[in-house]
Order: sequence, then structure tokens, then C-alpha cells
Amino acid sequence: MNRIDEKFAELKGKGEKALIAYFTAGLPSVNGTIEIVKGAEKSGVDIVELGVPFSDPIADGPIIQDASFRALEAGMNVDKVFDICKALKRSVKLPYLLMTYYNPVYKYGCVKFARRCAETGISGIIIPDLPFEESRDIRKILKKHGTILVSFLTPFTPLKRAKRILKDAEGFVYFITSAGVTGPRKSFSSEMAKKLKEIRTMTGIPVSAGFGISSAVQIEQICDNVDGVIIGSFFVKKIIEGKIEQLWADIKELKMPLLGKRNYLR
Amino acid sequence: MSKKLPDKYGKFGEFGGIFAPETLMPPLEELERKYRIISKQKNFKKELAYLLTEYAGRPTPLYLAENFSRLIGCRVYLKREDLAFTGAHKINNTLGQVLLAKKMGKSRIIAETGAGQHGVATATAAALMKMKCYIYMGETDCERQKLNVYRMRLLGSEVITVRSGSKTLKDAINEAMRDWISNFSNTHYVIGSVVGPHPYPEIVRNFQSVIGKESKRQLFKKEKRLPDYLVACVGGGSNSIGLFHPFYNNPAVKFIGVEAGGLGINTTKHSATLTKGSKGMLHGNFSYVLQDKYGQITPTYSVAAGLDYPGVGPEHSFYKETGRAEYVYATDDDALKGFHVLSETEGIIPALESAHAIGWLLKNKKRFKKGEVIIVCLSGRGDKDVTEVAHIENVF
Repeated sequence: MNRIDEKFAELKGKGEKALIAYFTAGLPSVNGTIEIVKGAEKSGVDIVELGVPFSDPIADGPIIQDASFRALEAGMNVDKVFDICKALKRSVKLPYLLMTYYNPVYKYGCVKFARRCAETGISGIIIPDLPFEESRDIRKILKKHGTILVSFLTPFTPLKRAKRILKDAEGFVYFITSAGVTGPRKSFSSEMAKKLKEIRTMTGIPVSAGFGISSAVQIEQICDNVDGVIIGSFFVKKIIEGKIEQLWADIKELKMPLLGKRNYLR
Repeated sequence: MSKKLPDKYGKFGEFGGIFAPETLMPPLEELERKYRIISKQKNFKKELAYLLTEYAGRPTPLYLAENFSRLIGCRVYLKREDLAFTGAHKINNTLGQVLLAKKMGKSRIIAETGAGQHGVATATAAALMKMKCYIYMGETDCERQKLNVYRMRLLGSEVITVRSGSKTLKDAINEAMRDWISNFSNTHYVIGSVVGPHPYPEIVRNFQSVIGKESKRQLFKKEKRLPDYLVACVGGGSNSIGLFHPFYNNPAVKFIGVEAGGLGINTTKHSATLTKGSKGMLHGNFSYVLQDKYGQITPTYSVAAGLDYPGVGPEHSFYKETGRAEYVYATDDDALKGFHVLSETEGIIPALESAHAIGWLLKNKKRFKKGEVIIVCLSGRGDKDVTEVAHIENVF
């Protein structure tokens, strides 16, 4: 069983939902990232996504673009991301994934990339610019190494397409809450909630929602219809600003509504 | 050779396709579906033909440059895209795409621009067809091309300065894609070259193919034969594909694409993607790109802003891989020589982009035999570059 599956099963048993945090690898530094993941685990994060910085991140908003740019300027590269993960393998228990655009994976070599993922304890990868149609080969390669490839759905995905995507889905489904790039938004559309409910009736795989989530109020709105929420820009901004104590506080606050009604009220 | 390109997955051999976020899949599907319907409709064809003729001044002449021919030693025809309205071939694509957007029921147009040529051509088409238009342009390019920024504003477009990444064309494309991901329900993204995710490389190629179709007809009228060579500059590759594509099934016609060699292809200061790049994904498709060993896209350089791009259209990568076309390069110096020679011999000041094709011919004239016929795509006029060249040569 993959560690992501284990984590979702464990949380379900406790009546909790997953808090998935995105951090840009190499921001503020290699060691800094390792410390942040360790601290995040202590503060209540269940799963970590490490962003591999890329020169042309078309799915990301200004905050993560800026973070990627800073990390690249500081000399971050794919090999160093694996160094970070190697250290995490010894120092944290939570499952961690890589979020990377496809070109760095392709250039590194898909087979070599999958092997390094397995060696460094990476449970899965998320590739925002790799649509379902192009994912078959790399999914097979990753599977051989025990690493999952996360699938995306959006409020605009037609039902027929969603069915095909869900057939291959593993670990969890990444549900993009709204049109647009990563980064905070004020509210969600009503179609979004409807679509989310619909998708959950179609699959037994956990569904996690991401893009634009930055407050406990937003999480309360969608909490009943998801198995986890993904928060990136909101946390990354704190790291850019050097407000690490605030980051731990934010994590604790945002985990609250995910603890489940029973635990929440206690 | 008669196999349909691209195939139903948007692939040219292994190149092209869609490498884009899931959020963009429905709008890309909508664009392809509606393009297939609308572009075949009689009234769309009629309206576009009318605009190209009456508004953009087509057909552009195919001019036998006799003085320049004497220098090369064979007959060189210039396809005068510099005489198309707004001064370059870009208008062929923007009139087509903005008209398509209108028929698709979109009310808002966005585009990216490097030097500003595609931005001006889009702003022009949007003004004509009464569409709200937003142009993304890198901060560095805005400073270099202040006059074009003002031209776009005069035409009623809003120019949005892009301050991310290298602050040039590729970052303007990233930003336009982000806008499109957020606003696709009412917005059409007018990509300026044969790049981006499928179906863009096909749509832009088809709108630009008017260049090659006219050339074929015009040359046949004058020479009663096909050309031996087609020569055009390649940045993203729209003017060259526009010229090449209608001759694809004429294997005797050789294609030569001239990339920007900048300060030399063994320096880091060039944009010769097909000559020096490797396979990868950029801006939604699989093609050749300029990248480092970790797959980060590397900065490019050329004296010609319109060639200054780290990717290239996937159809060009396919032509390279199959040997259908040959890709060469001209350095800044070669291009500047071409700029001067054509001005002096023919009284035609070429755009610095087009001057790469001219400069390469001058340097490689030994390859061509007397009696052979070459068509060069003179993709744009050089007025926009006069100040820049004067500056480079310390004239003032």
C-alpha cells in the first residue's frame, strides 16, 4: 500500500480530512525546506507537496512564480530536490509528493526520475501540464517504482472525460476549485460544490481540493465534500516574508475545520 | 506524404500535442470543434477573403529582385509580406483569429507580443471588429519598443506590462495563458505564431498558408514552374510555415529555415532552437526548445526581437526530424549585412527578422546554380528597426 493511501485510510478512521501543504523546494534554501517540512508535520500537516521550481510555470499565480524564481536563483535543481527528499525520508513520517511541470521530468529522463523518486521516499508526483491523454507511459513507469501519478479534475471537466480520468486515478484526485492559476481567491462558485459532490459519487478514491484556498471559512464551505484540501500560495507567501512562526499558527488554524465535527467541538 | 498533419491528437509525428493544465482542456476542445465548423462556412471564408483583400492589401506581390538576384547568381523572388497592412505577415493570422473569435461568440481578445508586431496586428483586427483587447508584453520589450506600445494604445487596446521571469516574449506568453485559464468563457487568446497547444499550431499555419498559396500561383504565372528553394526566417516559425506548407507535397521544392544565430551559436547569446536545442515542452506543446540539463528554459538573444524565442513550432521540429526542411542560422552580423544590401540594391528596407534570410543567402550564394529559382519570404518591413540599427552602428 502506498503511504498516501495509508494516510487517507488513517485519517478516515479518525474522522479527519487531510491538510495537504505545498512548499517550493529550495525556498528559502535546501536546509530551510527540510526544516519547514519537519515543522509543518508537527503543526498538523498530513501530506506535503514539494514544488520543483520551473522557469515557466503557466499554472501558477504570482506568489508561486516568485517563489520558483527565487529558488532557481538560489541554485535549485532537480538533483537538489532529491537531496531534500532523501533527508526527509529519515526525518519525517508524513508522505510527500513532488509537484513538477513536465519538462524537468522529461529532460531528466522519466525512468531515472521514477527511480530517484523511489530511492528518496517520494510517494507520488503531480504534473499540472501533463493531461490525461499523455500520461499513460509515465504512469506505468512510476507504478513500477511504487510511485503514484495524481490526476486532475476541474469544475469544467465534462462527465465523460471525468469518467475516463477517474478510471486511472490513484492516491487522490486533485480537484481544481476554479478557473485560473494558483493563488488566494475570495469565494467559490456554487457549480464547484455541485461538481465536487458529483465526482465523489463517481469514485472511491479520496478527492482533495486545491487552488485559491486560504482561510478556515473557505475550508468549512467545502469540507463536507472533500477528503482533503491543498494549500500552497498562502503558506508560500509566509515563507517568502520570513514569517515562519506565523506559518505554524496558520497551519494549526487551517487544520481545525478538518479535524471533523466530533473532534472540532471537543 | 499525404497523411494528415497534424493527426487527430494534434501531433506532427512525435511533436506538438497538448501539454497544458486540465483547466485548459475544455476551451482547447471548444476552439478546435468550433474552428472546424466555422472555418468551413461559406460566409466566414467570404468575410476573411474580403478583409485580406480590401483591408490588408492582399495578394502581396511576388517580386523578382533582379539586382539582388545578380549578387546571388540565380533568380530570387521576394514574397512581399512587408507590404501587407501593418507592415508584416502577422495580420493574416490576427484577422483570421479575431474573426473566428467573433463567430465563436467571444467578446474579449488577449494576445502576447515580443517586439510588438503581433500586438499591433491583433490590436488592429480587434479595433476593426470592435472587440475589447488586452496585450501582454514583457517589461524589457515595453522599454525597447515604446512606439509600438503607444500604437497599440492608439488602437484602443490595453497593454499589460509583464514583470515576471525574463520579462520578455516567453513570459508574456505565460501571462497570456494564465489570463486565458482564468477567463476562457468570454475570451479568445490570439497566439501570434505556430506555437502553443493544439489546435493553435494548425490554426495559425492555416491562416498563414495564404503566403505560400499566393506564391505558388504567382510564380507559376511568371515562370510556369515550381521554385527550387523556399527560404524564410524562423523564430516561432509562422511566416516560414505559411510559405512552406502549401509546398509540402512538392518534394522537389527544398525548404530552408533561417534561425537567429545572435552573437554565434557557440555562445549563450542566440535563439537557434532547431540548430542548438533539444526536445522538450514549452507553452503547451512538444518540440525543440533551448533548455539547460535540468529542463529549465534558457534565456535567448537576437538583434531581431521577433526571433528572440526559446521554442519553435512543432511542425518545424517535424520537418527537421524527417529531413523535409533544412534549418540553418544567420548571426546578427549576417542579418545586418542583409539589412544593408537589400536596402541598397533593391530600395527595400527589410525587417531585421527577414534580413536573416537575406543575410544567409548572401553568405551561402555558392550553393545556388544559375537558372534556379528561390522564393524568400520578406516577412516584414524594416522601418521599425531603423532606429535600432542606427544605434548599433553609432550613427546617432
